[in-house]
Amino acid sequence: MIDFSVYDKKQPEIYAYKCPKCGTAYYPVSMICAKCSNRRDPSGIVYPDWEKLPLEGPCKLLTWTRVWALPEGYDRPYLLFGIVEFPGGLRAAGRLEAENPTIGMNLVAHVEESTERPGPPVNMFVFSED
Amino acid sequence: MAARVGIVGIGHIKFGNLSEYDLVDIMAYTATDALIDAGILEDRRVIDQVFVANMGGGIINHQTGIASALVSRLDLEPTPAELVENGPASGASAVKLGWMAIASGMADVVMVVGGETMRKVTGWLATDFVATLLHPEAEYNMGLTLPSFAGMFTRLYMERYGITERDLALVAVKDHENAAKNKYAHVQEPCTIEAIHDSPDAHVINNYVAEPLRIYSMCPVSDGAATVILVNMDSPKAAKFNKKPIRIAGIGSATDTHCVHNRKDPLVLEAVRLSAERAYAMAGVKPQDISFAELHDPFVILEIAISEEVGFFPRGKSVEAIRRGETRINGRLPINTSGGLKAKGHPVGATGVSQVVELVRQLRGKAEQGRQVKDPHYGMAVNFGGFGNNVVTVICAKE
Repeated sequence: MIDFSVYDKKQPEIYAYKCPKCGTAYYPVSMICAKCSNRRDPSGIVYPDWEKLPLEGPCKLLTWTRVWALPEGYDRPYLLFGIVEFPGGLRAAGRLEAENPTIGMNLVAHVEESTERPGPPVNMFVFSED
Repeated sequence: MAARVGIVGIGHIKFGNLSEYDLVDIMAYTATDALIDAGILEDRRVIDQVFVANMGGGIINHQTGIASALVSRLDLEPTPAELVENGPASGASAVKLGWMAIASGMADVVMVVGGETMRKVTGWLATDFVATLLHPEAEYNMGLTLPSFAGMFTRLYMERYGITERDLALVAVKDHENAAKNKYAHVQEPCTIEAIHDSPDAHVINNYVAEPLRIYSMCPVSDGAATVILVNMDSPKAAKFNKKPIRIAGIGSATDTHCVHNRKDPLVLEAVRLSAERAYAMAGVKPQDISFAELHDPFVILEIAISEEVGFFPRGKSVEAIRRGETRINGRLPINTSGGLKAKGHPVGATGVSQVVELVRQLRGKAEQGRQVKDPHYGMAVNFGGFGNNVVTVICAKE
């Protein structure tokens, strides 16, 4: 029997949300636009939902750490984490994959599925040198 | 004009590994100590309201309705009681609500109890439990934890202001020196700068946890509880108490962005600054009037950053005072006289109440020999929730 569900599997994505009234982008999403106070409706029924913009691509490393004490579920000695800034000013925190990280270095953000913690898989940012 | 609110009773258990005890029992133990300290053990129904601070009872202890359980354990029914959960700032938030209940006229006497038992689970689960206060999708799902944010904050702080790992170690040495003399502290062992930094072998006992933070840059995982009893100093009920009140002169709180990355400058702790400004304004004092301070330091970098944000030192300059020993007990401005979260311990729901207990002990002149601040008049506590997204500042005064 053919498992058709494999055809539904999509590339994991994380989104920024754009206010349709003033165009300001947010990550993570907000309910009220900080710039024009326009409201959002996640159902899109009463008011239009905001435009979803996949967040990925070139970014710059603002700070980073290597963590040796990880929470339950992570079966490895350490992980690197960083905060990055995308062109346009949006920022995000996530995993860092770099040999010798330095503040200000150029990175590329992509999204991967994580199954390390108990519960359903979740999407996470990975910032790497390429 | 708001009522004058004073603290007339305190209770505190020794922080540490209390995993063999029941959460409500250790809370009730400190509450009973506070009733005795205030002289109202038999007359305890003079209490109009109980606030209970706890962050993880539902997750760690699989127990909810903790405020109801506590009043029953104290034979204090039918006194009204509510639980306050505000992350690691739950304790000072409960004190603030106690102050508000009295200031509003709804109550004259309020008991505030904070408690947490985090060592009933593994360190990994305790870290995960605290991390649930992060943004679920944008932070927690990435595997981030509070130590992760503290490490990233520290690296940026070091890069911008030129502080060193030795400066971080000096804060730890000072905190351990104070905790070693505090009968309630979890870690009552002093440490030396040679052992944790200067020696070539220092990295063996002081290895990295979240670079550039090391074991001695971080608080232990602790269980514990603390209690304060507040009274309207202008009420006839104030005469019932056998202790001279320590007045809550100022109390303020503020919030900041849930996600750390959304702050314009990740090194600016806006909620700390605003909460302190609000407390100073209410108390009618300035940073230079503060005799000593308890600053929320689960990571030593936060003692440094908070001390600057509340106006004790210019930004990036507190390390100069630390190097000169000005924040030690006999220094110009003693900080974390209790040992701080770093060495006294950090049972999250108890911490804010514990900080206020330390203010009272110092202002009464009853801290242990060797760690009593000389003739203090104003003490300040900063209780910091999340990674700075919900902060409460309390200023207490000797009348």
